[in-house]
Amino acid sequence: MDTKKIIALVVGSALFLLPLFLDLDGLSLMGHITLGIFLLAAVFWILEPIPIYATSLMVIFLQIVFLSAQGPLFQMNEVPSAAPIPVEAEVWEIPRQALDGDRVLLLEERNRTEAAEVSLVESRADTVVVRSDRLSEGTRVVIDPGHWFLDFDPPSYTKYLNALANPIIILFLGGFVLASAAVKYELDRNLTRVILRPFGTRPAMVTMGLMLVTATLSAFMSNTATTAMMMTVIIPIVAQLDPDDRYRIGIALAIPFAANVGGIATPIGTPPNAIAIGALQAQGIDIAFGQWMVLAVPLVIVVLFFVWWLLLTVYPAKGERITLELSGTFNLSGKAIVLYVVFGLTVFLWVTEAWHGLSSSVVAFFPIAALTAFRVIEKDEIRNLSWEVLWLMAGGIALGVAMRDTGLAEWLIGMIRWDLMGAFVVIGVFGLVAAGLSNFISNTVAASLLVPLAISLGASGILTDSVSLEINAVIIAFGASLGMALPISTPPNAIAMSTGLLRTPDMAKMGLLIGVVGLAVALVLARFFWPLLIG
Amino acid sequence: MDKICILCVDDEPDVLRAVARDLAEMEEGFPVETAASAEEAKGLIGEILKRGDRLGLVFCDHVMPGQNGVDLLIELRGWPGLQGTRLVLFTGQAGHEDTVEAINRAGITRYVAKPWERELLVRVARDELTSYLIESGRDPLPLMRYLDQERLVEYVRRRNRVDTGQ
Repeated sequence: MDTKKIIALVVGSALFLLPLFLDLDGLSLMGHITLGIFLLAAVFWILEPIPIYATSLMVIFLQIVFLSAQGPLFQMNEVPSAAPIPVEAEVWEIPRQALDGDRVLLLEERNRTEAAEVSLVESRADTVVVRSDRLSEGTRVVIDPGHWFLDFDPPSYTKYLNALANPIIILFLGGFVLASAAVKYELDRNLTRVILRPFGTRPAMVTMGLMLVTATLSAFMSNTATTAMMMTVIIPIVAQLDPDDRYRIGIALAIPFAANVGGIATPIGTPPNAIAIGALQAQGIDIAFGQWMVLAVPLVIVVLFFVWWLLLTVYPAKGERITLELSGTFNLSGKAIVLYVVFGLTVFLWVTEAWHGLSSSVVAFFPIAALTAFRVIEKDEIRNLSWEVLWLMAGGIALGVAMRDTGLAEWLIGMIRWDLMGAFVVIGVFGLVAAGLSNFISNTVAASLLVPLAISLGASGILTDSVSLEINAVIIAFGASLGMALPISTPPNAIAMSTGLLRTPDMAKMGLLIGVVGLAVALVLARFFWPLLIG
Repeated sequence: MDKICILCVDDEPDVLRAVARDLAEMEEGFPVETAASAEEAKGLIGEILKRGDRLGLVFCDHVMPGQNGVDLLIELRGWPGLQGTRLVLFTGQAGHEDTVEAINRAGITRYVAKPWERELLVRVARDELTSYLIESGRDPLPLMRYLDQERLVEYVRRRNRVDTGQ
C-alpha cells in the first residue's frame, strides 16, 4: 500500500472522529456523527484509498453502527438516572444534578425523556427535596439533564439498509438487466446497424450517426457498455483510414463524449441522475421518467450537435467516403423475441408514465421478473451485473438521507451567505462545482456529495427566487455528466484513451470546451425553459 | 511490479536478439526477457515472479543443450504462478511425438515454425497476450493499445468491466 493511500486513510479516519470532539453550534449530536461520516466519505471517495463502492458500503455500515437504534452506540449507552426517594405525599428527594431550574427530566422508555415541573422544597447536601404530582414510585429522573445522549433519538437501521433497495436502485437494476440481456442477444449491435445505415458514407454523416446511436443507447444502457460496443464498430473504420487522418481522433472522441452526454437523457442513463432523483423522492418530489426526459433531452440534443460540429471542425476528414461494415442479423430465437417485447414494453411504459401513473421503479421490476422467468438472463448474467455500481449509488443515497434527517445538510448550507447571491448564481455554482469535481472523481460521488446540500438549500427557503428544488438537484446531475476533460473522468473516456488513438491533450481541450458549453446551455435552460415545466 | 512479461527461450543468441527486435513495439507494455537455456529460463521466471511481475507468454525453442524445450514447457505448466501463462512452441525441429506431447501435456496454444516472419510473431504475441489478459480477469484498458483492441472492447462490453469509477 502506498503512502498516498495511507495518508488518505489516516486523514479520513481523523476527520470522522473530529466532529465528535467539537461542539458545533446548532448541530445535533446525530448531526455531528453524520458530519464525521460525510467527511470520511468525501476523503475516501475523492482520494480512493479503498474502492469507491467500498466507501459507500462503509457509509451505510457507519450509519447503522452510530446512527441507528440497533447500533452498539445506542444499545450500549444509557442516560444516567435515579429513582426518586419518597419523603411524604407528592414530595420526593432526588439528586441535586437532576434539578434543572424548576423542572426535571423523567426517563420514559429507552433514552426518551419528558420534562416535569417541580417546586423546590428543601436543598440538602447532595440532594434536593421537591414537590411534584408527576413523580411516582416507578418513575426515574435523569441525573444529568445536559447529558449528550439525551437528544439522541436514532431511527431503526432499516432506514439506512433501505438505501440498498431504494426505488431508484431498483429502477437501475431494471435497466442493468435489460442492458445485460440486450448485450447477450446482440440487440444493441443490431440496433446500431439499423440506425447507422441511413446515414450513408459521408464522414460528417457517419460521425453524426455514430454519435446519435451512442447517445441513444447510453440513455438506456450503461455508458461503459455502450462505448465498448461502439468501439468495436469504429475500430475497423479507423483501421481503413490514413494514420495521419485527423478524422480518426475525431471519431475516437465522438463516441465517449456522446456516451457521456447521452447518459443525461433518462433517469437510468447514468448514476448521478439516480442520486438527484432519489434525493428529491426523499423530499416527497417525484420526477417521472418522461418528465426527466423533457428536461434533459433538449440539453442533450444541443450539446451533441455542438460536439459534432466541434469535432468535425477541429478534426476534419481527409477522405470523402467512410465504409461501415455492418453485418449481422437480428437473433430470432424465442428468448430473443421475449427480450424485444419486454424491452419495448418497458421503455414504452417508462416514457408514458404521465399517462398511466405507474412509477418507473414499479415498471422496472417487470423486466427483472420477466427476463429471469423466461431465462432470457440466467445466473451468469445476474452475477455479471454491475452490483458495485448499485452499492455505490446506495451509499450516496444513504448519505443524503442522513444529512437531511440529522439537520447536517441544512447546517452546512447555513455556513454560506447564499442570500447574497442570486438564485441563478447559486445553480451556476452548483453546476460548475459538479462538473469540475467530476472531471477528477467519479460522477456518482460528485453528485452524492453535492445533491444533499443543494436540496437542503432549496428546501430551506433561504432563496426566495423561483428556483426550485428540482432545478438545484438536476443541474448537479447534469453537471456531473458534463465533466469529461480527462481520461480518468469517465469510463467511456478511459476506454477511448486506451485504444491509443488519442493523446490526452486532444481529449482535455475538447472535453473542457464541451463541459463549459454544455454547462452554459444547461444554465440557459434552467433560467428560461425548466421553470415552465416544473411547478 | 505487476508487469506482464514475455519470455523467449532459445540457445541461439541470434534468435533471441531477433525476437527481442521483432517484439520491440510491445516492449513498453510487455517487457521481453530472454534465456539461452532451460535452466536459465527457470531462474529467470523465479525472479520475475519474485519481483511481483507475471509471465504472460513463453516462446520456447525445442532442441537445446540440457533440458529440451517440450520438457521445459511441461514442467512450467505445473508451476504455481504460471497457470494462465500462454506457452508457444517456437522451433523448426520438434518431431511429431514431441509436438503431440507439447499440446497434450504442456497445453501449448500455438506452434510457430522457424524461420519466422516478424508480422506473424507480433500477431501471435498480440493474440496470446490478449487471451491471457482476458482469462486473468484484469482490467484490460491499460494494455489495450498493444493488443487486439476489438477483442478487448468486446470483452469490456460483455463483462461491463472497467476499473474507473462510474
